[in-house]
Amino acid sequence: MFNSLRMSMGWVHTWMGLVLGFVLMICFFFGALSVFDREIDRWAIPDTRFEPQPMPSFDEVLKPVYQQLRPDPVDMAATERRVVGSLPDPETLELESLFAYTTHRDPVLLIGGEFAIPNEPIDPTDDHQHVHGRATVNPATGELLNDDALKIGSDWFYPMHFSLNFNWMMLGYWIVGLAALVMLAGLVSGVIIHRKIFREFFTFRPWKNLFRSSLDLHNMTGVVALPFHFFFAFTALVIFASNIYLPVTHTTLKPLHEHHEKLEAARTGLPHEPAGVPAPLASVDAMVAEAKRRWAQRDMAGEVGFLSINHLGDENGYVSIYRAGSDRVALVGEGIHFKASTGEVIREEPPRSAVSSIDEFLTGLHLQHFEHWMLRWLYVFGGLLGAVCIATGFVLFVEKRKARHAKTGSQGSRIVDALAVTTVTGMVLAAVGMLVANRLLPADLPGKGQWEQIAFWSVWALAFLHAAWRSSPVAKARHNPAWREQSLLLGLLSLSAVGLNWITTGDHLIKTVFTDTYWAVAGVDLSLIATALIAFFAAARLRAPVSEQKADNALSRNKQVNAYD
Amino acid sequence: MTETIWLIAAVTAALLSMSWLALAYESHWQQVFPESGTLPNRRRLKLSAWVFLLLSAVFCLNADHPSMAVLVWVMLLAVAAFSVAMMLSHRPALLKIICLPLFAAKA
Repeated sequence: MFNSLRMSMGWVHTWMGLVLGFVLMICFFFGALSVFDREIDRWAIPDTRFEPQPMPSFDEVLKPVYQQLRPDPVDMAATERRVVGSLPDPETLELESLFAYTTHRDPVLLIGGEFAIPNEPIDPTDDHQHVHGRATVNPATGELLNDDALKIGSDWFYPMHFSLNFNWMMLGYWIVGLAALVMLAGLVSGVIIHRKIFREFFTFRPWKNLFRSSLDLHNMTGVVALPFHFFFAFTALVIFASNIYLPVTHTTLKPLHEHHEKLEAARTGLPHEPAGVPAPLASVDAMVAEAKRRWAQRDMAGEVGFLSINHLGDENGYVSIYRAGSDRVALVGEGIHFKASTGEVIREEPPRSAVSSIDEFLTGLHLQHFEHWMLRWLYVFGGLLGAVCIATGFVLFVEKRKARHAKTGSQGSRIVDALAVTTVTGMVLAAVGMLVANRLLPADLPGKGQWEQIAFWSVWALAFLHAAWRSSPVAKARHNPAWREQSLLLGLLSLSAVGLNWITTGDHLIKTVFTDTYWAVAGVDLSLIATALIAFFAAARLRAPVSEQKADNALSRNKQVNAYD
Repeated sequence: MTETIWLIAAVTAALLSMSWLALAYESHWQQVFPESGTLPNRRRLKLSAWVFLLLSAVFCLNADHPSMAVLVWVMLLAVAAFSVAMMLSHRPALLKIICLPLFAAKA
């Protein structure tokens, strides 16, 4: 079919890249935003604009809070469909396990738990017999925060990049997984078809024609950040491999998995089942103090990242305390487990094996629990380089074909161009539009988070309609004016988001940077201003018809072009 | 505080290294020094570039836990290479300043 390896790889690169490039744009852009998801949460929920704090006292602050925790109505409804008969009143359900989770960037604490239900499952192999509950707590006061306030960063932009927020049959995860796999293939095929990978390592010639300059930028952003692109696509697959993409332990190997779970419980001394004998809870604060003492003894002094209690109120209950991995590329770990009723140590997890350490490094480098602001910004930059690489790929696809399509009357490049506008400027518009909606809607509006999601999808859908409506010039081998119009709108929206934050909360940049420094909000505002500047610059560059622009540039760069071709 | 100093050193070394690596190509050398004729000493440029590349890794290791340092270093190289490419296409004269140490070596 193809005469050479390079041609066949070119085919794979072009068509796979085009089809899944739209998904990859979402992964890279929202992935880059996820680096600062907690900070975006602070911007979107002004009530939580205070300093991050460590895990509070369990005995004094958290224990009473769990009594206010209630089963999640959505999970109640989902569980009701899987069991015989109807579920009891949610007010009467009792917690059988609980957890609390925090990071060095969290002013608020995430807590949750599982409520036991008496019903039998419809499917006898279904062992998921509980209903979940989840809440956000102000650790300073112990009060529950309003659940209606959507954490736009960590509960919308972050899941967007790995599930597209498309949870029906987990389809979003599968589409993103396929895109990550294709990304790896795209990187390999891209390296094979690239003619001068080293010679053009630093090459970007914006004064050349649109095809050539886009190809330069496509190659350069792909090659300079190749390790980043490779490792993020690869570790994305590693993270979800065992529980979503290859869930053998819950399908073909399920009996073995169950057996292993019981053997492990016997080996570690952490009871698999409750004893059925009620027992009180000893002081958890004393257990936390003992865990911290043991970490310090191992030269790993640290804070608690994750705390959980299993078989709550039972003789077999145990408390697990995990260290936050803020100072290295790691997740929560170094678990120490205590008997809940007495507070004695049941088990201290041994140091990780080599395989487990590698796994922790690979997932840790993607999930970023570490405290390193420079590396966080470098990651944002890497993500944006990936987005530029894919966006220029779309431009290349269209530029290569549109003259031919204009002659033959094909609409192909017109459709691709409209979709490219939707996934480049349209996607950023949707994200910024959501922030604007967040500041315009009243804080006490019932279901505010739902309205914000509607705003997000509506802006994106309108951006698509606009791009499609303005796309006819592409069929005549000219440019779609939607690129420039959406850039202008993006600039205006970004600035208005900054202005609205000032008006509605009183947090302007002079305050958040200088007088009452709060970098989480200042950082989001400054990034919005940077977005506006780039958008206006792009709009200005797109104003001049390309042919004139090219002539201008050719004149001014004449010397360089001669010297460097 | 010392971490910040090591990281600044690492950024500087990465930028110098990438600039020299770029200038070791005839075409880029011509962009920065259009009047100077051909590239003077390609081997010396490349050698200094590789030395500074390693130096930036050492600086990163001084700043952070090794598992983190390796990530900082790889990402830093990507950003440095991108910055050099952008300087070459938009402000090639800026790279002359970065080359000053090189002229000292030439004399």
